[in-house]
Amino acid sequence: MESSDEVAVHKHRIHLRTATLRDAAPVTLHLLPCEVPVNQPAPVGRFFTPAIRLPPPGLEVSFRGRKLRGEEVSVPPGLVGYVMVMEDKHDFSEGSENNEEQGEQELVESPEALERDFDCFIGATASFSRFTLWGLETIPGPDAKVRGALTWPSLAAAIHAQVPED
Amino acid sequence: MYTALSPSRSRSGTFSASSLYLLLESPGDLYADLCPQRFLLPFGSVCTPLCLSSFTSEYLKDASKKMKSGLMFIKLVNPCSGEGAIYLFNICLQQLFEIKVFKEKHHSWFINQSVQSGGLLHFATPMDPLFLLLHYLIKADKEGKFQPLDQVVVDDKFPNCILLLKLPELEKLLRHVTEEREIDKKKYYKFSKEKTLKWLEKKVNQTVAALKTNNVNVGARVQSTAFFSGDQVSSGKEEDYIRYAHGLISDYISKELSDDLSKYLKLPEPSASLPKPPSKKVKLSDEPVEAKEDYTKFNSKDLKTEKKNSKMTAAQKALAKVDKSGMKSIDSFFGVKNKKRIGKI
Repeated sequence: MESSDEVAVHKHRIHLRTATLRDAAPVTLHLLPCEVPVNQPAPVGRFFTPAIRLPPPGLEVSFRGRKLRGEEVSVPPGLVGYVMVMEDKHDFSEGSENNEEQGEQELVESPEALERDFDCFIGATASFSRFTLWGLETIPGPDAKVRGALTWPSLAAAIHAQVPED
Repeated sequence: MYTALSPSRSRSGTFSASSLYLLLESPGDLYADLCPQRFLLPFGSVCTPLCLSSFTSEYLKDASKKMKSGLMFIKLVNPCSGEGAIYLFNICLQQLFEIKVFKEKHHSWFINQSVQSGGLLHFATPMDPLFLLLHYLIKADKEGKFQPLDQVVVDDKFPNCILLLKLPELEKLLRHVTEEREIDKKKYYKFSKEKTLKWLEKKVNQTVAALKTNNVNVGARVQSTAFFSGDQVSSGKEEDYIRYAHGLISDYISKELSDDLSKYLKLPEPSASLPKPPSKKVKLSDEPVEAKEDYTKFNSKDLKTEKKNSKMTAAQKALAKVDKSGMKSIDSFFGVKNKKRIGKI
């Protein structure tokens, strides 16, 4: 990443390709209680998934010689999970730069704001509505931190809801 | 010099890193379930983020060639810290979302047939834009006069802030925090602390209600009860809820305004509340409270630096760069709420 110069002006925009949200296929997700310091393909379906057993309550698997206990966690209603990947290259098809003058000028600021250096794209590669949460030796249970985090959207809704007029 | 936010240009052949996001399924549907005053912004009709409302379709027709979508991540000011933070902006619906990241130490994802380090989970939730406008109104108030909004919401550092001027029903929003005057059909605004505190109090009240419905543990007092009496459901004191809600709201306003709000809500002074309510920790050990506090502070700092240094994916880096400075980890709300609560007040 060539990021040495921290820019004082933040014009950048990361455009979300909304079409990818429509087409995103469901994904199988496991949240592991350990660090794996790499991002790369892994034969999860060959070694991990087949080893999952179902001793009630919950799930059990052996991973790197350790016993993990797991359970399914659902994404709160009204929300959908997406796996997003930043695109490598700027992709501005139809090259007509800097001519968005019709309509909402104020919305589009100085022309250079739409220059290639400022704009990049991110897209969803998959979607999810639940994932498997794993704990070391024990089932994470209701006190799992990520469960607390999943209550955030309903709190945020209250914080950011409009207040009634006087 | 414009590369700081540029996307992850991974070398060819490298695995493209993924980030996990939780987005609203469909803002229209979501808000259909809520009572009317819960509407963040009027959507008009039920509309997914993918639909075009008539309001913006013209613009999108023009811009779609370049913009490609109605949703974009932009950097705007964090009204609490004054630094930058990442937001999601929906051009179609003219709606602002804040992005928060959940991160827990020592976690990773398996995503289908791949592994992803970090175990991050991003949340995109609707944000009341008035918090951002308020930041600029207070800044502009140093001039001490009524000003048109387009003179108030200017920011050399975060030029995308002018998107805020496009939000629907701004005038209605501004009534909560400003005095306004109209001259020659042009509106002029001036920050009103009195009105703002009233508005924030309402925010605190509706947050308290949500804390109760969500059974959020709001205080050390509550926790210690729960600890000593097993599964007995403990009812938090009203003050604990208010203090907790005040802490949450304070993440969207300046320190000064937060202090004013604390007084307005008649919460005990910081000094008065320092001797902590009897908590499990205090009771179980004779260690001085202060030492404990320092220790945890040190720990959380340590965690932060480690976060920065730890390996992140290219995509995370790109996003982190946009934002890192101002973005708060949800962790800090839900992981260490007591410490935060006490530190805050």
